[in-house]
Amino acid sequence: MASESISVIKLRDLLLVTVPPDPDDETVSALQEQVLRAMAQHEAKGLVLDISTVQTLDSFFARTVAETVQMVGLMGGRTVLAGMRASVAVTSTQLGLTVGNSLTALNVDRALDLLNAAPSGSRRV
Amino acid sequence: MKEEMNTPSKSPATVLGSEDSFRLLVESAKDYAIIMLDLSGHVASWNAGAERIKGYRAEEIIGKHFSCFYPAEALQRGLPEQELKAAAKDGRFEDEGWRVRKDGQQFWANVIVSALRDKDGTLRGFSKVTRDLTERKQAEVQIQQQSKEIMELSTPVMQVWQGVVVAPLIGSLDSNRTQQFMERLLGRIVETNSPVALVDIMGVPTIDTQTAQHLVETISAVRLLGAQVVLTGVRPAIAQTLVHLGIDLSGIMTRASLSAGLQVAFDILKLQVVSKDSSH
Amino acid sequence: MNENEPHQGEFRITSENDIVMARKVVRDAATTLGFGLTDVTRIVTAASELTRNIYHYAKSGVMHWRVLNSGTENGLELTFEDQGPGIPDIEKAMEPGFSTGKGLGMGLPGSKRLMDELTIESTVGKGTTVVVRKWMRK
Ligand SMILES: Nc1ncnc2c1ncn2[C@@H]1O[C@H](COP(=O)(O)OP(=O)(O)O)[C@@H](O)[C@H]1O
Ligand SMILES: [Mg+2]
Repeated sequence: MASESISVIKLRDLLLVTVPPDPDDETVSALQEQVLRAMAQHEAKGLVLDISTVQTLDSFFARTVAETVQMVGLMGGRTVLAGMRASVAVTSTQLGLTVGNSLTALNVDRALDLLNAAPSGSRRV
Repeated sequence: MKEEMNTPSKSPATVLGSEDSFRLLVESAKDYAIIMLDLSGHVASWNAGAERIKGYRAEEIIGKHFSCFYPAEALQRGLPEQELKAAAKDGRFEDEGWRVRKDGQQFWANVIVSALRDKDGTLRGFSKVTRDLTERKQAEVQIQQQSKEIMELSTPVMQVWQGVVVAPLIGSLDSNRTQQFMERLLGRIVETNSPVALVDIMGVPTIDTQTAQHLVETISAVRLLGAQVVLTGVRPAIAQTLVHLGIDLSGIMTRASLSAGLQVAFDILKLQVVSKDSSH
Repeated sequence: MNENEPHQGEFRITSENDIVMARKVVRDAATTLGFGLTDVTRIVTAASELTRNIYHYAKSGVMHWRVLNSGTENGLELTFEDQGPGIPDIEKAMEPGFSTGKGLGMGLPGSKRLMDELTIESTVGKGTTVVVRKWMRK
């Protein structure tokens, strides 16, 4: 039921996943499952996580995202976190969180550009 | 000046004549120190206001040289002599500055020195009217301080180019200020959709561990957004401090000057444009 | 702040979904009190960490919130109380990265950084109370 709120869109060889504004832990876990399944199914080479509506990024959410990035990496894909809000970025940094090896972009457009372009991104967090 | 001490001269008071009513007025004026000086600058008359403002009673001060009202720094500049010279030359000299009371306390004074000449035009002495403007001065200082603080608080984050914001940091950085700066910088990056932010620390006098940590934090937060910080204006002293403090700035782009930073910004933007084109 | 707004409240945490609900309660309280967006996000994120700790380590507990007034400043106080296993070594628990679960170990130390004050009282076998406060920046 929780996973209904996650949308996974396939754009050529990329996946665009929109994360809901205030997901509970179950939804966050389901997101990881769904993303990995879709990656395998579509043989996608990259993943864009649109977090532009996310209001709270706590350590559980951050850990799941970091894990997912790592797992997608093992499956040969690259992940871009797109559209993090300024208030969320300030808070996460202060909380001491990192989001692993994810690339970041100001918005989905730029994230798609980033994945379609450079062979290996230089903007690792 | 000193030689003139021996010059037998009529008291400046006599120059004014014996208009008793005028003398009464001067003597009773409380808000103005109105005094007469002889040619060499020795106090010849003293009123109630002078006593109130400067703290000396008439018996104590008459005959003394007026340089005792000045702080050491003004004496070094030879200010008392200059005032008399200027008044003698132009007829009148006005000045504002710190003066010293009998008890050593300083007050902010507005001073008008006028030359007193007799009918023949011969210089006889000087009148000196002093007002205590300490309160006004304090208010001014406070306003200056406040506007400086306001300026510091509202560190501007300017969009200087499509995709580039510049934030010049000026003055000392405490945690509260750095935190506000961080929030404003991130907000502007998102608003203006700018992938590059130049943070210029040329105007930051000193940096400590905490401030440096805040800067590093700010840079990490900017990266989370999907943008990059180029730290510019890193003066030699600041570079030394950062290294000595063991602040890890690896992975952070730094440039000595803002213009060098701008060049980096354009390179980053160009790279993005090129890679965008090559993808089609 | 509106006179009619409640100045305190309480929320029970018994299920995982209550973590999200607690975040909503805190977001509303902090926003009504007049905190800016970034501070609201800080407070909500700390509340998320601390309610999750209750759910994970004690299974259930209560969150109280109340408005503070120091005479010159307004603030928000959140109290997280449980009758769970307690924390044997609080100092250790406050170290970034320390976790007895499989967490990141950032919940307690991170919440301390996000808030202005954080105090923990805990007795092994009896339970844990964590109090955090945030003052409104002028
Ligand atoms: N309410 C609680 N009851 C019992 N133990 C707790 C509680 N909150 C925190 N702890 C202990 O403190 C440790 C650190 O907590 P925290 O910083 O939130 O990290 P994490 O939850 O990721 O482990 C936990 O692993 C746990 O051992
Ligand atoms: Mg925790």
